[in-house]
Amino acid sequence: MSNIFNLVYNELLKIFIRKSTWVLYGFLTLIIIASGFFAYFAGNERTANYTDEGWQEELQQENAEIGANAEQDVFMLGFNLERMSENNYYLENDLQPVSYGAGQFVADASFMISIVSLLTVIIAGGIVANEFRWGTIKLLLIRPYSRAMILFAKYVGVLSFAIITLLYVTVLGWVVGLIFFGFDGFNPQVIILENGSHRYESVVLALLTDYGYGLVSLIMMATLAFMISSVFRNSTLAISISIIILLSGSTITLILSRYEWSKYLLFANLNLRQYEEGGRVAIEGMTLPFSITVLAVYYVVFIVLAWWVFGRRDVAGD
Amino acid sequence: MSAIELTNVSKSIKGKQIIKDLNFKVEPGEVFGFIGPNGAGKTTTIRMIAGLVSISEGDVTVMGHSITKEFSKAIRHVGAIVENPEVYPFLTGMQNLKYYRRMIPGITKARIDEVVSLVGLEKAINQKAGRYSLGMRQRLGIAQALLHKPSVLILDEPTNGLDPAGIREIRQYIRALAKNENVAVIISSHFLAEIELMCDRIGIVKNGALIDVQSVDDTTTDTTELRQVSIEVDQPEVALESVKAAHQIDGDIVDGLVRFEINKDTIPLIIQTLVEKDLLIYKVETSKTRLEDKFFDVIGENVIE
Ligand SMILES: Nc1ncnc2c1ncn2[C@@H]1O[C@H](COP(=O)(O)OP(=O)(O)OP(=O)(O)O)[C@@H](O)[C@H]1O
Ligand SMILES: [Mg+2]
Repeated sequence: MSNIFNLVYNELLKIFIRKSTWVLYGFLTLIIIASGFFAYFAGNERTANYTDEGWQEELQQENAEIGANAEQDVFMLGFNLERMSENNYYLENDLQPVSYGAGQFVADASFMISIVSLLTVIIAGGIVANEFRWGTIKLLLIRPYSRAMILFAKYVGVLSFAIITLLYVTVLGWVVGLIFFGFDGFNPQVIILENGSHRYESVVLALLTDYGYGLVSLIMMATLAFMISSVFRNSTLAISISIIILLSGSTITLILSRYEWSKYLLFANLNLRQYEEGGRVAIEGMTLPFSITVLAVYYVVFIVLAWWVFGRRDVAGD
Repeated sequence: MSAIELTNVSKSIKGKQIIKDLNFKVEPGEVFGFIGPNGAGKTTTIRMIAGLVSISEGDVTVMGHSITKEFSKAIRHVGAIVENPEVYPFLTGMQNLKYYRRMIPGITKARIDEVVSLVGLEKAINQKAGRYSLGMRQRLGIAQALLHKPSVLILDEPTNGLDPAGIREIRQYIRALAKNENVAVIISSHFLAEIELMCDRIGIVKNGALIDVQSVDDTTTDTTELRQVSIEVDQPEVALESVKAAHQIDGDIVDGLVRFEINKDTIPLIIQTLVEKDLLIYKVETSKTRLEDKFFDVIGENVIE
């Protein structure tokens, strides 16, 4: 009937007006600023400004210094060897390196999507259960919308929250990077070490790739929390189950990986990165199409359960 | 067309029938009271009318639309408070109302101000609703229910938590809504005295069944119907004797008041007799014995199943 946009707006209003959400955002802000500090004081970043004419000599000199100091600098040996091999890659491929800056900092901080997943799970786990807890579900359900529509608005609200939060960490990360490390262009090309091999890539592409893989698990876990919230009306249950899976999924996969059936588990399939070139597949016999199928089946089951129970439930006393 | 119509409505939960074959209609402009002891099924019935609880058998129509088959069309005409007045505690009263405004098209800003002043919440409307007292939440609940000018207003114990002045205001407002805007109102309550003042008709529920529906209106009820009349006079015994002599009506004296069971037409005759005897009449009170007795019969033997 009328506007779904207003329903989603209302959901976002309820999320963002609450102090608990502000606390979560404060937490995100702290993590990003702290990462900036760490990166700055660890000082492993490529901070030298290479000149257009002499960058080859400058790189060679850097390698020579690393070689000379290798014995004193045992603690930094790992970093230094990696830097040497990067430098060699630049030289061999005749690519001029850029110094570290905001763009590269954001790409390095792409792990933030896991924290955004955590926050999204917290929101998704509460979004239906809280209405029951507050008793406002009764007032929400006596508006001229079907229950399916009300639930859909809530689901869209959760996904919107994830996207808004991801944008927030990206922009904040860039600003923090700018303050600590300066500007390195809007889309600098850098060497990325992935699964043991080097790749020369734009940071925007690298960031989007990380976010893309991260979103798979974000969406699956948010949908799981949303489903539990809708079926059991219990936010604590929804949030704890999802967070446990989110945090310990890969460990559990490892423990259970000797059993054939474990490849059908949700958390064995959340990391699609395992199928990238050079990646190690968690359980033998798993393939990308297999994982996508398993994830799709879980997704459909979660959605059907959430909508079916919410649509039929008697909203009576507790 | 009735504003609300229940036909053969039943509800069973886990094999137990908690609502049994309800049938009644409420017309536009009518205030219908729903009264019964705890656990009688008032809230459950109201939840079924609002579509919050499924209907096991039968159907409810609101302005001609079935709540089960045409939910959106039917619920569009309904405003309700179900059981406790619930609010979003982290929103102000005004933000709560604006939130509901967004869900139904055509509600103006002026309408919000109108309902706010109607329930007398102007001063507190910009405070967090979480800090409201029960009575204030109740008022906000009523404001929320009226926002979209519903044709049917459903209030589950709306005076719960209100102070006497609040109860009177709400009562007057509900009467005015019914009279001026032709709204059909269903109100549930435990208190006969309170609901009598607001309603045109009262349905008594017990153990999930509607056992009686009574008209309340004083002026149109049958003048031959017996009612209890209590009279405060300076000499009760003399009054009792003279009425007995003049009209062959027996009465008794309770707490210093002379009491008769008579019909409406007899009241002036009795008063005339007392005046002729030069007795001083301080007060004459009538009550609707039929309804009250009926209700207390029901309440008195209430066994929650
Ligand atoms: N979900 C449920 N499961 C089982 N029984 C229920 C359920 N909901 C209500 N009942 C039963 O239905 C009956 C009617 O309850 P309801 O809340 O409608 O009564 P009520 O008239 O509103 O009472 P009160 O005056 O206390 O508000 C009660 O006996 C209650 O135990
Ligand atoms: Mg009740």
